[in-house]
Amino acid sequence: MRPRLWQWLLHPKLTMAVRIALGLVFIAAALPKIGDPPGFAKAIWAYQLVPGPALNPMALVLPWLELFCGLALCLGIWIRAAAAWVAMMLLAFGFALSINLARHHPVDCGCFGGAAQKTMAEQFADMRWSLLRDAGLLLLAGQVLLASGLKARSVGQVE
Amino acid sequence: MPLPSSTPLRALALAGMAVTAALIANTFASPARRLAWVGSSVPPSIAAPGVEKIPPPVTGSGQPIVPEPKDGHPIHPGHLPPSRMTASPAPAAAPAPETPPSSPIRDISAEEAWRAFQSGTPFLDARRSSEFAEGHIASAWSTPVWESDLDDRLLSFKAARRPGSEDPIVIYCSGGDCRDSHLLAEKLLGEGYFHLLIFHDGYPAWVAQGRPVEKGRP
Repeated sequence: MRPRLWQWLLHPKLTMAVRIALGLVFIAAALPKIGDPPGFAKAIWAYQLVPGPALNPMALVLPWLELFCGLALCLGIWIRAAAAWVAMMLLAFGFALSINLARHHPVDCGCFGGAAQKTMAEQFADMRWSLLRDAGLLLLAGQVLLASGLKARSVGQVE
Repeated sequence: MPLPSSTPLRALALAGMAVTAALIANTFASPARRLAWVGSSVPPSIAAPGVEKIPPPVTGSGQPIVPEPKDGHPIHPGHLPPSRMTASPAPAAAPAPETPPSSPIRDISAEEAWRAFQSGTPFLDARRSSEFAEGHIASAWSTPVWESDLDDRLLSFKAARRPGSEDPIVIYCSGGDCRDSHLLAEKLLGEGYFHLLIFHDGYPAWVAQGRPVEKGRP
């Protein structure tokens, strides 16, 4: 039973759907931030985790990294490298969000560009949803990494 | 050029592409969408957003009220150094204290902001320039604290108004847990301005009270 479930989970068609979905999410997240780096810098600053000098370089580079990783995932090139970056970004974001939830400090996600004015309760609710979404995306990234790893190994065996 | 073959190399190549693209894009971005790579306009000392200090209550004359004393000690408004906090108990019933021990950065109410507006005090809008264009307090200056041309805008404000270090300047953003006006106030404090009034409720409160507003670019 388990190998069969495994086979189903790592089915090439599922893997392709997952990596394209993940890629599209990252492209959608990247574009508004590329269009407005000061807004993203403000969003990162609100997390109160990044030291001042690192703030602007991070706000400038991170959206482009998201875009290139998203494109690579969608197009199916350099899948492992892109999925590794995506997983790292998701982990870092989840970590930052968890810290601010734990210290009861409301922040706007900043995930898909600017946010409207919200009350504190709404912000906390949004943060929990973001964390859940983050975990879901992390699962997708894990699937892509695992599948591409198996593929690489089987290719290695054939050679 | 051979393409990198191993995963770590490819990951590095992705990062390099991102840095290159960011460099190019930032070079050609408009000032409102540009960021300085080094030297942020954001002051290093930052009060956590969301953790609000209670603004001191103010009277019509713009001086802080000393609330009713508890346990024989008057409660001074916020922002006071500890030495002032333990100062001799000023009589709460004293008519209009001569020198209010107010700090250089002080929160003000909508009423006080309106009086400042009527007396011609300059208003600085710390929000993004796009928000300023959508609507701002009449005759306010656009000084978006997150945008790369903040220093130029502040310079043109100073050149036009020549504010002295003790002249009042009202700073506002969008109210609520907006910290932009505080960031701008800290920056101006560092530049030697000591009478900074933060209109805490900001633009939404101004609009709600039907005060004069303007639209369009500065």
